[in-house]
This record gives sequence, structure tokens and C-alpha cells, in this order.
Amino acid sequence: MALALGRTVRRYGGMASMAPKFFLAYSIWVWMEWAVQTIALIITSFFWRAVYTDQTVIAGLAQSQTLTYVLLALIFAPFVHSTGMIYNFGYLLKEGQIAVELLRPLDFQAGQYVWRTAELWVGLILQVPLFIVALFLGMQPPLDPRLWAVFLVTAFLGHAVLFCFDWMLGCLAFYVTEIWGLSVARYGFTLFASGLLVPLALMPDWLAGILNVLPFAQALYVPLSFLTGIAPLSDAPRVWLAQLAALAVLLPLSRWVFRVAVRKVTVQGG
Amino acid sequence: MPRYVSLYSLFLRQRLKILMEYRVNFFIGAVSTLIEQTAGLLTVWVVMQRIPLLNGWTYEELLLVYGLLALSKSLTYLFADNLWTVGREYIRTGGFDRFLVRPVDPLFHLLADRFDHQGLGHLIIGGILVSTASARLGITWDLPHLLYLVVAVLSGGLIFIGLNLITCVSAFWIMDSVPVTRVVFDMNEFAKYPLSMYNRGVQFVLTWLVPYGFASFYPANYLLGRDVGVLVWLGPAVAVTLLLIGYRLWLFGLRHYASTGS
Repeated sequence: MALALGRTVRRYGGMASMAPKFFLAYSIWVWMEWAVQTIALIITSFFWRAVYTDQTVIAGLAQSQTLTYVLLALIFAPFVHSTGMIYNFGYLLKEGQIAVELLRPLDFQAGQYVWRTAELWVGLILQVPLFIVALFLGMQPPLDPRLWAVFLVTAFLGHAVLFCFDWMLGCLAFYVTEIWGLSVARYGFTLFASGLLVPLALMPDWLAGILNVLPFAQALYVPLSFLTGIAPLSDAPRVWLAQLAALAVLLPLSRWVFRVAVRKVTVQGG
Repeated sequence: MPRYVSLYSLFLRQRLKILMEYRVNFFIGAVSTLIEQTAGLLTVWVVMQRIPLLNGWTYEELLLVYGLLALSKSLTYLFADNLWTVGREYIRTGGFDRFLVRPVDPLFHLLADRFDHQGLGHLIIGGILVSTASARLGITWDLPHLLYLVVAVLSGGLIFIGLNLITCVSAFWIMDSVPVTRVVFDMNEFAKYPLSMYNRGVQFVLTWLVPYGFASFYPANYLLGRDVGVLVWLGPAVAVTLLLIGYRLWLFGLRHYASTGS
């Protein structure tokens, strides 16, 4: 039992350890991301300052609270961007690489989850310079470690929920070839639905109600609402239970959807 | 010139045949950018539900700025998308050699090689935004205004193409120019909103260094009858200047092109 567990940990650990190398192989991409993200932080900061020019509080949110929220949302965006599977599945199918992946002595979904989570950690570490930039732009992150702990637990649970949802969405790549277009559509929808561009608390109630039950908000808005004081800490256990329940439904469902979709694959070769 | 026009239509027909082979995929590709654009628009909509003015601009005026930028951007996606992938798809693979042994200008060949249907999403949303916003704002589309709009959108599109051309030249040395192009291209996000919202430094950059302001803010000011001086007329000159610089750099890069070899 212990041996088998050790073997599993070594296998998936090996995969996870490759993620930083993969990410940092071409340093120019890291510099590009920093530059692009800095541009986004600056625009966001100007935009929200302009929004609050004539008011101090909007929908119960003060300027500093909203500014901190939107800047933190940009910094923690890897929580929602690291789970997209459409392009990944499409690429594996196009190259025929899916056959190799399915033949490996690993659970494909678990392997992808480990890879994505490792990517997420690398992504978060690379966001540290942006955190400093955001401080100069007026972000006031909380100092209470309890808030950060609740944020991290909620964010990783939300990330797992979104991963399962994206896993099903990614299965569309087995049926259509326009994976770039689908990825762009998913990206665009995620920007709004996750609360990355605007906190759900500012939206009309009916819209916030719909987006709150979608998995996108679980990985960003919900955790950030604890961190920025939009939601009280006492809500955390209820939120975690809801996230675990969503995971209990989505995990088996995503595996079933993949089993059905993968039957479409015909890999050429010889 | 007529030869290039007829050649372009030939390339375009072939490209459309490829795209229409899978019609559902064509449709998905065309509307995908529409969804992406909608995210930004919804943000503006949500905010403007809460406040009457953003930096002195109404919701409809903001839509006009946004729409003008989307229209300009659609031109670069539709007709010059290969500037993004010249390094990755052509130079790194050696496919660029193909352009050098054919009796047409390599830059023309590169651009004509790909018509990107995803630009249709930008074109549609830009068209809808400009027409709805102008109707609500009471902008009269008489001949001068209509001509101004066409010239402004063309200039805006050429500014996008010029900047992408300048940055894509780096592919001749670093193989993949996407990181360089993206950093400059992403600055167009500033121009989604009125430049008056930013400080003077940002305004200067968006007007003189990376002049996306001429694709949205300045034309919008003219159409709305706001006075920002001579800048509302400078778009075409800025576009031509950027294209000339881009083309000179392209020729310079071409002289330094070393194929991948065998």
C-alpha cells in the first residue's frame, strides 16, 4: 500500500516538476507576460479611479476595496486561466499525441490536473513582481493570515471545480476543429463570468445570481470576496461544502463525458 | 497594382474554400471574438448601470469609442493576421523560403496567405456598436461624417497593421515575434476608453509612440463634435508613417533573413 502510494507520488511528482522547466524554457515569454500584465494593471487602475471620481461607495464597495479587488483579480487570474482544456485537447488530437497520452500508465485526467496545478503554482510565483507593481497602483491587500488561508483553500477548491467543468468543455475538441475560436470564446466568457474584470457585487442581482452558480466565479470571485471583505469569513464553511458538493458531481460527470468523447478519436499512424 | 488585386482575390477565394469546408467551425471562429469582445462591453455596461458618466463620457459615447476600435482592429485580423505568426509558422519551419522564390512581393504573399475569419467578430460588433451608439447620440451620417468614418477606420486599421509589421520584423532574429508583437498590440486596450481618463504620460504614449488613440479616441471626438484640435485629422498621416517605417524595417529584416537550412 505504502509502496504503491510512493510510486504514484513519484510519478505525478515527476510530472509536476517538469512544469517550471516548461514554463521558463523561453524567458522572453515570461517578460512578455510581465509587460502585458503590467499594462492591464495600469489600465484597470485608471479605469476604476475614473469610475469612483464622483462617488466614494458603489453598491457597498469603497474605492480602495474595489481597486484592491480588481488588481488582486488580475494577479490571481492564473486560477481561472490554467484550467482551459480545449486548446490542449485539440492540439493533442491534431498531432496524434493523444494516443501516446492515453497509453501512459497514468490516469490521464489526474495527470493533467497535476500538470495544471503545477503550472498554476509557477504562474502564481511569476506574479510576485506584479504584486509589487499593484502595490504602487493603490492595492491594499489584507494582512490577516486567516483571510489568506481561507482564500487559498477556497481558490484551490474552486480551481478543482473549474478544472472538471473545463474538462467537459474541452471534450468539444473531439467534435470540432476550430479549437482556437472555442478557446477565445471560453477566455472571453471567463473574463467576465469569473469576476476578473468587475466584481460580481457590482452587477445587477439577477446577473450576479446566475454567475455565482457557474464554476468560473468559484475559482476567483468567491475566494477574492473573502480576501477583500466582500464576504464574511463565517461564510467559508458553507462555501467549502458547496464546492465539495460540486466537485462530487462534476468529477464523475467529467470522466464520463471524456469516456464518451474519446470514442471519436481515430489516430493515423504507421 | 491590378495584378496584385487579382492575385489577392485568388488567394482569398482559395482561403474561403478552405474555411467553408467546415462550415460550423467557420461560424464558431467568426463568433468567438464576438464573445471575447462582449466581456469587455459587459464590464462597461455593469459600471455604467451604477454611474451616469465616466470621466465626462456617457455610456453611448463609450460604446462609440469601443466600436471604432473594434472596427479598426477587425482590419488587422482580417487582412494581416499572418504578421503574428510569421516567425512561428514560416521562418522557424523554413516555409518562408517559399515566398522568396515566387515572383511576388514576399510581404504581399505573407499577408495574402491568410484571411482570418475571426476578424469578422470584431467587424460585426464594431459595426453594431458604432451604428447603435451614433443613433442614440443623434450623429447624422451625412457625406462628410461618413467619409470621415471610413477614413478613420481605415487609418486605425493601418495603424494596427503598421505597428504589427514593425514588431513582427523581430522574427528575423528571434524566430518567434509573438511576445514582442503582443506587448505592443496589447496597448490598444488603453484605447478602449477615452484617453482623457489617463495621465499625460499615458496620453502621450497613446498619441505619439503607440498611437492607438487615432483608432478610437480622436475619431470619436470628431464625430461627437468635441474639440481636440488638429489631432482628429492626423490619423491618415500617422498610419502612412507607421506603414513606411514598418516596410523599411521589413526590408531590413529580409536582408538579414537566414533560412533554417537543411
